[in-house]
Amino acid sequence: MKYGRIYFEDVQVGDPLPPLVKGPIEQIQLTRYAGASGDFNPIHQDEAFARAAGMGGVFAHGMLSMGFVAQALTDWAGAGTVRRLGVRFTALVRLRDTVTCAGRVIAKSSKDDVHLVELEVWAENQRGERVVTGRATVALPSRA
Amino acid sequence: MAITINRDVVGKEYPPFPVTVERGRIKDFARAIGDLNPFYLDDAVGRASPWGDILAPPTFPIAFRDERADSAALLRDLGVDFSRVLHGEQEFEFHGQLRPGETYLCRTKIVDLYEKTGRSGPMAFVVRETAVTDRTGEIVVTMRHVTVVRL
Repeated sequence: MKYGRIYFEDVQVGDPLPPLVKGPIEQIQLTRYAGASGDFNPIHQDEAFARAAGMGGVFAHGMLSMGFVAQALTDWAGAGTVRRLGVRFTALVRLRDTVTCAGRVIAKSSKDDVHLVELEVWAENQRGERVVTGRATVALPSRA
Repeated sequence: MAITINRDVVGKEYPPFPVTVERGRIKDFARAIGDLNPFYLDDAVGRASPWGDILAPPTFPIAFRDERADSAALLRDLGVDFSRVLHGEQEFEFHGQLRPGETYLCRTKIVDLYEKTGRSGPMAFVVRETAVTDRTGEIVVTMRHVTVVRL
């Protein structure tokens, strides 16, 4: 199985990252993510706790949405290609929300046989509100 | 009611802690995200890959924590509780791949703390950096974690 899914030469600045739709978010996924990540903050599990904390109810771990963005990247570029991923969590993801990850190529560079592609990435809920914004760099194989 | 945050934490370094990357935990993490990439889940695909084993998803190192330490150490140091904190930003930089079965050393430091007033009131931003090194001392991953405290 080929690890790189796309060659450096086939990517152009402005190209879209193919959208990845995740969700709707269910409580069971947040519980599963808590177990897998070790983040057991009750604000993601306990409706009464989340309301008492003034958060209006349970919301998803930001890291789950970042995981979705990473999946969008690796579905396109291949596993093992991500060199950098940095995001800001800009809005809460609630139960039953759908999260659509997308992005756009903003730069390409090559140095010493390393071929890097930089992208602007983001995730939106079903109302088109951005829940994650960020930047990513992937290293792609070259045809040369 | 507004709270105050302990600003003396800036510069604090937490004791280094080892983490062994377990094959099953990589797979659980990928499945929890719903990312069924065979390079994370299929040992045969991993063996035949350029790395000779399965890979971890990019955000997997967020699960690295000091099992011997109190998981609420940061919050205690800041003087705040769970209900006040949000994850503001996160960044990963990869210099190599994490390998199943390998043990890595994690070093976390609080590098900055600043306050801003947003739409929902005053907030403090606590910036932590973690370096993950392999047994030869090479940095494999660095993480930057920004915690937002609602004051």
